[in-house]
Formats: sequence, structure tokens, C-alpha cells
Amino acid sequence: MPTAAPLPPAAIADLKSLLGTRVLTEPGALAAYGRDATPLFRHAPDVVVQPATTEEVAAVMRIATRYRLPVTTRGAGTNLCAATVPLSGGIVLSTTRMTELREVSRDEMLAVVQPGVTAGTLNRAAAAQGLIYVPDPGSKEASTVGGNVATCAGGLRGLKYGVTRQYVLGLEAVLPDGEVIRTGGRLVKDVAGYDLTRLLVGSEGTLAVLTEITMALVPDPEAARYGVAYFASMADAAEAVRDIVAGGPAPATLEFMDTVCVNAVEDFARLGLRRDAGALLLFGDDGEPSAVDRSLARMADVCAGRATHIDLAESVAAAEDLLAARRCNLPALARSGSMTILEDVTVPRPQLAEMVEFVARTAQRHGVRIGTFGHAGDGNLHPTAVVDGDDEAQTAAAMAAFDEIFRRAVDLGGTITGEHGVGAAKLPYLEHRLGPEQMALLRRIKSAFDPLGLLNPGKLGS
Amino acid sequence: MSEKADTRPATRGVLSKDLLDACISCGFCLPACPTYAMTGQEQSSPRGRITLMRLLETGELAPDDPTLAEESSFCLGCRACETVCPAGVQYGHLLEEWRDEQWRGMKRPWIVRPLLTVANRTWVLRILGSVRRSARKRKTDGQRTLMLGCFERALFPSVSRSLAALDPTISVDPNQGCCGALHAHNGELEKGRELARELGDRLAGTIITTSGGCAAHLADVIGRERVVEASEWLLENSETEKRPLRVGLQDSCHLRNGLGVWKEPRELLGRTAAYVELPSSGSCCGAAGTYALVRKKESKAILAKKIAEIEAADLDLVIAVNPGCLRQLQTGLRKSKSRTKAVHIVDYMRGR
Repeated sequence: MPTAAPLPPAAIADLKSLLGTRVLTEPGALAAYGRDATPLFRHAPDVVVQPATTEEVAAVMRIATRYRLPVTTRGAGTNLCAATVPLSGGIVLSTTRMTELREVSRDEMLAVVQPGVTAGTLNRAAAAQGLIYVPDPGSKEASTVGGNVATCAGGLRGLKYGVTRQYVLGLEAVLPDGEVIRTGGRLVKDVAGYDLTRLLVGSEGTLAVLTEITMALVPDPEAARYGVAYFASMADAAEAVRDIVAGGPAPATLEFMDTVCVNAVEDFARLGLRRDAGALLLFGDDGEPSAVDRSLARMADVCAGRATHIDLAESVAAAEDLLAARRCNLPALARSGSMTILEDVTVPRPQLAEMVEFVARTAQRHGVRIGTFGHAGDGNLHPTAVVDGDDEAQTAAAMAAFDEIFRRAVDLGGTITGEHGVGAAKLPYLEHRLGPEQMALLRRIKSAFDPLGLLNPGKLGS
Repeated sequence: MSEKADTRPATRGVLSKDLLDACISCGFCLPACPTYAMTGQEQSSPRGRITLMRLLETGELAPDDPTLAEESSFCLGCRACETVCPAGVQYGHLLEEWRDEQWRGMKRPWIVRPLLTVANRTWVLRILGSVRRSARKRKTDGQRTLMLGCFERALFPSVSRSLAALDPTISVDPNQGCCGALHAHNGELEKGRELARELGDRLAGTIITTSGGCAAHLADVIGRERVVEASEWLLENSETEKRPLRVGLQDSCHLRNGLGVWKEPRELLGRTAAYVELPSSGSCCGAAGTYALVRKKESKAILAKKIAEIEAADLDLVIAVNPGCLRQLQTGLRKSKSRTKAVHIVDYMRGR
């Protein structure tokens, strides 16, 4: 791993002659780039650059190679695995000036964007043509398409639509030595060569710098409806989810949250959610109106046996409010403590009820307050510890609880992270999930792209 | 794992710990921030500025650090970030505490100093009001008292006269001082609170204000229940005859983001004219209190976009609910020789 040696003044001079004022070196500015949305990780870069074009990115990479400088690519910095914390210092390459939305094609149902376009902006541009951008992370108003691709963002639509990787058609990327490659393209079918597009999706800035993304869009469904079911416990909700998925076509949305989360969200959003419920399940579907009605009725039916109460959202606005409330679950939880440590374990759906019970028991045993929410339909849980950041014992207890939770998830056939990524935060657990042979292969792949180990050192492939 | 984010070797007591602790750096605030939109740089986002405040608090950045100075002044203080923050971070209060340190004494921008001097002297404000003929003294049952904004008395005296005409039973006390919003936002937080308390003690009953910025500050110090902003009052208490006018609105940031009052002026305008929602009616016009004086270049850049929008909408009137915004819009419209006039909502309701 390149070490945090002081940056040679000549490197700064080269960057400044390339990008002028789009090079930041003041300690205050650098400190602001020293963290992302992940707690507990902090390290400032030596310089921040804001290239605007592929050519500028390539030139930055040539300078990095010449001086052997680490480069950490950063979009909006909303990731939750410390993927954009520059642990070895060096250059932070910010994509916030790469915001050109090059094309939205209704005919080909795709968009071509620079990586710094926000997911929210692409969503609105797609909607104007009757299309949707599928990745739907909680951070979608702030996060960038480049970041969504680099972390293979998931979100609230995974069950029916899948996640980011299913929608990336083509990429333009700059390799560490400044060479520009184009993978995939506008084609639905293309098996020429290894699938480098899929390899780059979720590579967290460790293999190349993404500079243009061709993203498949899908038609905006004619109708979408949502409802809420309340249960006495998360396990009851998980069983309802299992029965819903087993009994018919996968619906668009099956999200749940426990009573801690319901109360936190209600404090912020004030939607009239039932604070006394043990668990809330947000279910929804989209498509042709009569099919959506049937799907909602079926889901309500399945829930009816176990639920304590069921509400169907009467209007589109009410449904939007419910979804918005669900997306802000993590920061809303932060109202009750100075630090939130959020995890992302995922298990096969039949093991969901067992996993949520294990999370609750483990939290209790370690004396940690953990609120759990997540994408129930995907088996994807976000147990979130709310702790006092000044109390090291609390933090240690939370980490110990999560250690057990990760191991249990893998034992149940699950994974340590469903959608947030590995970054620096999950790297210590990665070998438990992949085994030593795959870890070694990851390192060989990494060095094929990045023999000098310049891109995002200390993360995947390190 | 590198270093703990929240380890504080020592604290300087500049910023309240509980206010800082509320932020988890999720970044949901980024798309709401006008200055982040300008630079795309982390340190000019609400999240980045809170990181800077933390480093000021721990002493990791010196108080004279250039980024601290630049960012505390570059921030508009519009509080748009608060409305999208699920964690409930009170950014406006943090900024006040920050500027209280950053702009103390001789560190304050020189152009702000004479304004504070004037606002500190009630007799100067009284004379300004009487020379410019703002609303005259009137003693009624004291259920409602009109707040006379200090710069409004000098710049837009017709506004208080119009409100006094629309509300014949409101009390007017020309001997009132400044509410202290100016102080709170420009590095004299305690003085700002003291002035608000004094004003609250002096004015009887419910205080009706014609300035969104003052309303938010006053409500924050003396309690929301005692403060009613003019458009709230007008909505309940005025005739709403439809006029053949195309009318737009510029929200007051603190009224909208601080007090959550934004439906009321829209409803009022919708009842009385053909209301047109401007694309950025809810975001800052660049006046931002003293910002138009301290950060002329950025203020003009924000205003230019706003004026282009107003021109594209082909409005007869654009309505303001705060004297600072009114002055900003009038300046911009005059310079671009627009046919649109900027008018205060109270003058508009009186038909002026």
C-alpha cells in the first residue's frame, strides 16, 4: 500500500497547471474530505481535484502514476462502508464537476451520464420521458450515479427489479496509467470478452475511475400502490414476507422496520405510524392498475392472519411519503444517539425470521440498543446500533455484537454486506465470507488493473 | 480502522456539543445547499461545514484558519438544509454559534459594523421611522402589536403603514428597538437574544411581523406562540378579491425553513391573483441578511438566475415577505429593466 508520504510539491504544481482552481490544498478543505457517511473512519487526503472531463481524469491518473500517489474517487460521499475515506492520503478525485447528462433515449430505454450526475437528477430526467432509473438507495437525492455503480447500490426496488448491476450496459473508465477503456455499450446482447462491465460494478474505485455510464432505464409503471401492515414482532413480519414471496409473483417493495425505527421515523416524518407496533411492513407493487390492485389485495390477505393492523395508502402522495420516510430511516435513528453504526447483513429469505431474532438476542446480550430495518423481500437487514460516540465501551459492545451477527449471517448462507459495500469497514470480515482462495484471486485481479496499487488502497483487493 | 471520528482531545466551548453530535454526516443535505451547488466542494456543504465546526471546536483547525473564515461567510445561512435533515440537525443555530466566534469584534466584516451600530440605537431607529413616515403611534387594546423592522422603517416605510391600515385595531409603538436577528446572524448571538427578549417584553400581546427573518429569530427566542407573520394574519383576516395579475412569490428562507410558513402566502396570492410558482421560489435570492453586502459576487450570481426565472415567467408582480428579499429583487429587476415589479405582501394586499 502506498504510504502517506508528504506529497511532492511538483505533483501539486502539475495538478494545478492541469486544473487551476479545481485543486484544493487548504487543510480545512482537505479535512472536509476526510470522511464520508461512515462513522469511526477518518483520514484527510493531501489534495483534492475536481476534473470535469475524461481527458482531465486521464491526466490526473498519469500524474498519480508518475509520482506514485494513491487516488480515492469520491462522488457525493454518502456511502456507508468508508469506501471513500482516503486511508493512505494522496489524491481525492471528486466527480462533482462531471455532471453532464449526455442523453436519455426513450427509443433505446437508456441514459448516458457522467459519473457526478446525481441519482435524483437522472430520475427526474428519465421521468420526463416516462422512464425510471432503477437503483433506489436511501441517499438517491444526494448520491451520484458513479457512486451507485461503484458500490452496486440496491434500495427499495430490489425484489422485483434487481439492483444496479442488472442495469449497467456500458462503462467508460480510466485505468491507473491514464489509459481509457470502454466496456459494453448500448447493446442488450454482447458477449465479446470477459464481462468487465460487471466486474467494475461494485469495484468501489479499486480497479479504475468511471468516467461515463450507460444505464438501462425501464418504463415508468402505470400504477403503483402501497400499504402498511403492523405486527407484534419482526419475526411475524418476516414470516409474512416469506409467505408473500412464496405465494405469487415478486412484488416491487417489501420493507420492514422494528419498533425503534418506527418511532424514530415517526418523530421526523409525522405520518401517523403506529408507535406501539412491534414491527411495520411496507408492501407495495407497481404495473398495470388491475394487476397492482390484485397484488395488493393478495399481500394484505397474507398479512391479515398475523398482522395486528393493516392500512392501505389512499393516495400517491401518501405512498410517496411512506417511501420517503423509509428512505430516511438511518438518519432519523440518529436523533436518539450521537453515533449510529449501521450494518448490512443479508440472508436467504427463508432464514430471515431466524436472523432478525438472532439480531435482537445478540443486541440484548451485549447491552446494545439496535434498531433493525431493511429490505425484507431481499433478506437484506440493516441492524443499526445507536450509541453515545464518546463512550468507547458502548462502541466496543456494538462492534462485538456485529461481529457475531456477521458470522451468523454467513453461517445461514448469507453475506456480510448486501448493498453498502466492503470499503474499509467490512474488509476485516471479507475473508470469512469469501475464503482465502477467492481473496487471493481478488488480489490478482486488482493487480492486473492496478499493478502499482494506487487506486483506493486499503480497500477491496488489498 | 484509522482514527475515531468523534474523539475530542479537548473542546473549546465554541459550539454546543449536542448540536454537533446530531449530525451523522449522511449527506442528505447536499442537494439542498445553494453554495454546494456552486462549488461541488465538500467544505461548502452543510455536512462539510459541520466537519469544519468540529475541528474548530477540538482545536484541530486554528481559529484563524482561512477555510473556516471563508466558509463561515460563504454560507448563506438560508437553512434549506434543515428541512431535508432527517436527523434534525439545527444548522441555523450552529451557524450562529460559529459566527459568534468567527466574526467576533474586529474579525467581523467591516461593512456589517455600521448596521449593527444603527440597530443598537432605538432613538436612531425612531427618528429614521419618523423621517421616512413609517406607521405612526397608535394605542389600542394591546391584543396585537406591530413589529417595526429596523431597516424596513428606513427603506420600506409603506409596509408598516399598509399593515396598520389593514388592521385598524393593531397597536403601534415607534419607540421599539431591533429584534436582534441581525446581531444573531452576524456574530453577536447573545446580544441578538437579549434584544429579542427586550422587544418581547416591550410589545404587548401577539407580535405581528412583516419580515420573515425577524419572525423566525423572535419566535426562536420568545416563543412561537407570541409571533405571527403578516401573511399568516392576512390569510385569516383580509378580503380576497381576485385581481387580473400574474403574480409570483419569493419565500423568505427563515420563514420557510425556520418557521415552516410557506403555504400561507401562496394561498393568499392564489386567492387574489393568477399565482405562478417560480421554479426556485423556495430557495434563497442571495439577499440573505447581510450576505448581499458581504458576499457581493455570490449574491449577484444567485440573483441573476432568479431574475431570469422571473423574466421567463412574465409576471406582473413578484411578492416578497421579507424586506431584505424585497430590496434584492427590486435591485435586480431594475437593473435588468424588467416590467415585473417586486412588492411586499402587505403593500400588495392593501392594493399598493
